[in-house]
Amino acid sequence: MNSASTRVPASSEQPSDTSLGGSVIEVRDLYHRWKGPKPPVLDGVDLTLRAGEIAWIGGRNGVGKTTLLRLAAGILLAQRGSVRIGELTPEARGGRYQRQIGFLSAGDRGLQARLRVSQQLDYWARLAYVPRARRAAIVARSLEQFGLGELAGQRVDRMSMGQRQRIRLAMAFLHEPLLLLLDEPRNSLDDDGYALLGEQVEQAAARGAAVLWCSPKGEDRVLAFHSSYSLVDGRLEQLQ
Amino acid sequence: MRLWVDAMWAIVRRDATLFLSYRLQAITQVVGLLFNLTVFYYISHLLTAKAINSPGGYFGFVVVGLVIIQVLTTSLGILPVSVRQELVAGTIERFLVSAHGPVNGILAMMLFPLLNAFLTGAIMLGLAAVIFGLPLAATAPLAIPVALLGSLAFMPFALLLVSAVMAFKQAASATQFIVSGVAIVGGLYFPISLLPGWIRWASDVQPFTPATDLLRHLLVDAPLDHPAGVELLKLGAFAAVLLPLGFMLLRAAIRYGQRAGTIAEY
Repeated sequence: MNSASTRVPASSEQPSDTSLGGSVIEVRDLYHRWKGPKPPVLDGVDLTLRAGEIAWIGGRNGVGKTTLLRLAAGILLAQRGSVRIGELTPEARGGRYQRQIGFLSAGDRGLQARLRVSQQLDYWARLAYVPRARRAAIVARSLEQFGLGELAGQRVDRMSMGQRQRIRLAMAFLHEPLLLLLDEPRNSLDDDGYALLGEQVEQAAARGAAVLWCSPKGEDRVLAFHSSYSLVDGRLEQLQ
Repeated sequence: MRLWVDAMWAIVRRDATLFLSYRLQAITQVVGLLFNLTVFYYISHLLTAKAINSPGGYFGFVVVGLVIIQVLTTSLGILPVSVRQELVAGTIERFLVSAHGPVNGILAMMLFPLLNAFLTGAIMLGLAAVIFGLPLAATAPLAIPVALLGSLAFMPFALLLVSAVMAFKQAASATQFIVSGVAIVGGLYFPISLLPGWIRWASDVQPFTPATDLLRHLLVDAPLDHPAGVELLKLGAFAAVLLPLGFMLLRAAIRYGQRAGTIAEY
């Protein structure tokens, strides 16, 4: 897919939500306060994402978008309130909650710098408990999906930032999670990479995953979002 | 279970790949061992103390201590540093969002350094035997299972330090404290019979002393103060009691970091 085919929807193109399935993640009354005298960064956040839904959350720098995503991913645990995927919570034993999550952190961290790209994806596939029989095919498919085929044998620390972002995205999507949490996914991507990302988000939604895309501004809208929110003073405000 | 094994192996293979990607590291490690042995070989020529009741003299006595120091430095010293580096690099975060989870991930991170330490220890003994003429006992191969049991008993101390890193980000001073303390009360450089009576009790309340005594007995035929069965039992008991506590502590430290938010800091 090239950049010419990227859809940049006007607000009138907002897709209908009648095709969406049951809820994937339910966030209720979420509260988080960092140490120090500051007020809570999240204070009573409620959010439900349904199967096939693509949602966007925006807001100023430091308003708590990354904290919200980390709580949804189970990296942080709720100080108050709850995060659920069906009956599963981030505290569930055996990584059952985490199997449902595909997480992309903001920035460029989280890669094993001296591994080759294919090694990196195979490593992640194993940590994500992708069954042996499917692992090689899934890694090969991931390389293709994010245009990494030619880079498969190259070391990660010799890559450009955009190429590293493609690897990080490939890791988030690799195990076909039910919920994709993407924190500033457009970082460093060129037009082709951006288009590939849009394509993969749409495909994930088509198979029934929910996608939560966070970025400071709405300029990231290569996709038709079903819902958009702004995080203000610790609460989510629905924009559409 | 197969998926768990695959994930553990992935982390061990990752660590081995990273280690071998720095090509001079293994060579400098062996040369460093040789220098270390040379220093203690000549120091041993100065020592004829009766307290050292070992057929190989002080050199035989201290070589076993050096091997254990190697394992301790690796498990207690390198692991917390590695975990800290992974926190900074954001790769611990991958454990947190993976099905494998952070506790399993950290457990797997202990394996390659331990394998490396065993290999290094074996090379050290080989160099001591071939170059410096240390007479190894016929029971030396039995040291392998004892060293494995000893590692299980040492592991909780590594888990304690990693827990400190996960909760508070720092453990360097505690690492130094534990390794130096063990060198004294475990009898790694000198016999614990030289210690004053008021501190000698400390030699009985940790797993390093029975591990050291057993390994010296098996490797260089040093006599045991207690029957081998009793020493093995002590070692096994330390592992059985301390390991579950170590994992509980690590799990609690991670949960604390996740709840307070410090897990995302570095």
